Amino acid sequence: METVKVKKESKNKIKVDFERAPLSVRIRQKFFSLNFLKNVVFKIFRTVLLIGIAFVILFPYIKIILKSIMSVSDMKDATVVLITKAPTFDQYWYILTQNGYLKAFITTFIVSFSVALIQTLVCALVAYGLAKFKFKGNTIIFGLVIMTLMIPQEALKNSMASYFRQITMVETTLNPISFLFKALQDWTGIFENGYGFSDSIIPLFILSIFGLGFKNGLFIFMLRQFFKGVPDELEESAFVDGSSTVRTFFSIILPISIPMLITVFIFAFSWQWTDDFYTTIFIGEGSNLSFMSSINAIPEKISKDIMYEAEAIRNAYRAAIAGTAGILIALPLIIMYMFLQRRIVEGVERSGIVG
Amino acid sequence: MSDTKLTNKRNVVASDSATSNTFYVKPKQQQKVVEQVVEAPVITEDPSIHAPVYTRPVGSAYKAPKKKRPLSLSGKKALSGWLFCLPFVLGVIGIYLPMVIKSIEVSFHGPTGNDPFSFETYKAVYLESEFTVTVVDAIRDLIIQIPAIVIFSLFMAIILNQKMTGRALFRAIFFLPVILSTGIIDAILDQTAASDMPGGAGMDEGTGDAAASDGFMSALDMEMLLSNINLRFTLFGTTFDLVEIVTNLVNQIFNIVSHSGVQMLIFLSGLQSISPSIYESCQVEGASAWETFWKITLPMISPMILVNAVYTVVDLFTSADNRVMKGLAGYGGLFRQPGNFSAGIWVYTLLALVVIVIVALLLRTIVFYQRKD
Repeated sequence: METVKVKKESKNKIKVDFERAPLSVRIRQKFFSLNFLKNVVFKIFRTVLLIGIAFVILFPYIKIILKSIMSVSDMKDATVVLITKAPTFDQYWYILTQNGYLKAFITTFIVSFSVALIQTLVCALVAYGLAKFKFKGNTIIFGLVIMTLMIPQEALKNSMASYFRQITMVETTLNPISFLFKALQDWTGIFENGYGFSDSIIPLFILSIFGLGFKNGLFIFMLRQFFKGVPDELEESAFVDGSSTVRTFFSIILPISIPMLITVFIFAFSWQWTDDFYTTIFIGEGSNLSFMSSINAIPEKISKDIMYEAEAIRNAYRAAIAGTAGILIALPLIIMYMFLQRRIVEGVERSGIVG
Repeated sequence: MSDTKLTNKRNVVASDSATSNTFYVKPKQQQKVVEQVVEAPVITEDPSIHAPVYTRPVGSAYKAPKKKRPLSLSGKKALSGWLFCLPFVLGVIGIYLPMVIKSIEVSFHGPTGNDPFSFETYKAVYLESEFTVTVVDAIRDLIIQIPAIVIFSLFMAIILNQKMTGRALFRAIFFLPVILSTGIIDAILDQTAASDMPGGAGMDEGTGDAAASDGFMSALDMEMLLSNINLRFTLFGTTFDLVEIVTNLVNQIFNIVSHSGVQMLIFLSGLQSISPSIYESCQVEGASAWETFWKITLPMISPMILVNAVYTVVDLFTSADNRVMKGLAGYGGLFRQPGNFSAGIWVYTLLALVVIVIVALLLRTIVFYQRKD
């Protein structure tokens, strides 16, 4: 039995005095043991490693940021490597004013947001169908999903462009979509050139509606694994209560999978935001639609200024301009990411991708 | 019991085996057998007597009047399954497959895509030595990069799964490349890296050293250190130099890190799904962290290793910063022509599929699936 001496007693707190080892012994036991040493070494190693790799990841971005505030005189100066001597915000100013950043921003935002929304919803639908219903052809459809993921998009570059340019001309007997567009053309005559879309963003939406956008196979795969982890009892009880499958999906399954849907949405949004593949296929040079991928051109004013400089300096300046454009492209994404990154990890953690 | 046997014998319909079985079954089941037997004469009746004779054309089989039956539950489920997958199925039939077929078709009709059927483009692609060399190099790099990325992302996922201060910040930084290293930003990063290489900051440093010191570890330093160690082996006619492999990996660390974001996320989700009670019982039994990793974590996470390895191959093969992809966009004359371009890219895709199948088959042998109860 220990004897407990009450030193001080108040309404909420009680301070007692009990026998304990002297401080020196306690310190020795805590800090001079092998376990403690191991722990400290491991923690130091881990922290150094994490900081090191974080540095590796961030260094290119840091370099771009530092170069974006350099002036031409800094680039001529051999002593300037990363830290500028004469900081300037000219490059930001030129891109914002002369390259039509604001216009590109608005267009890209509207397109990316709607495309990402459509892709998330469609992929969730398809993934739910693949995860929760057993029917003939289930595995074939899943195989097709994986196939769309495996074929590089560059392989379809030319045929994609020609397909949408002449969508009404494709063999219509076997092709439901082409048949649909042919009927639409006969009825309304919406296509100016009479065949299909040119310099239009609509093909991107069509691809998204049918779950064929950029890396949609991955989204379907991720969501399918997530839905497989949702217990069947949930749907069964909804079914017993008289809810149809469609209603169950929209009012029960979708709300509980919001973290995962946000993850997919972030991926879809940021990949569409930085996309330079689909926009260059579908939008020609002469179009008045401008996207983020087109703002990294050298502004006229600057190209005049640096015309008489040496080749190396011109290249460095061009790279700095491109880097500045990159910062301005990435900035909205990084801000969004800062707010939503917790959701990404949470969503994927709950996905239970274990087969 | 004898009674049952009797009934059976009276209406000789059921097979002998059925009757012999009835000797050893419980009374309730016996009843069932009896019922079956009683019903049997109805089946043996000639069905034609029920049919209205005057409507039946000669020679046609008898059909019972059609009764509209509601869909069974499984039928309904199958139907709604198709309904949910409908957008994708329609898209694949209407958009994707026509594009794929068109692209393959173009490659078989000469460089311009308008000639009669021939293998000319494939021959041209095969004879373009620069392309074949690049593809072989890319596949060799891939064989080294797949394990590097998978192991690195597993390692980082385990570390990022531990409780520590600043975990959220580190996670945010590590997953940043997932959203940033695609499309235009990737191209811009490449451009800035390329502009640094020749001249730029290190103009005075001479030739060989300047290029080498741009990496995180100087390959020359490493080689000088390890030149006496002869770590080479030959496989399928290509020589693998271990020192070179290590220095390459270290110099490509940014590439590896920026390509392992999604893999890290997948591993992290797998680690989260392992029940903590398993680790607890391991601790109680006195297993060390090392043993726990090899006996618990690795087997439990092995399905994800397969998924990640396949995803890594797909990602590396299809990413636009891939050497072959760049080459296809860049090689002047030959790949400007649509026929040659398609031929080149389909050869490449086919090789990618072969690599994926090999990787999947190899990893399937080590995958352990936890049985769900």
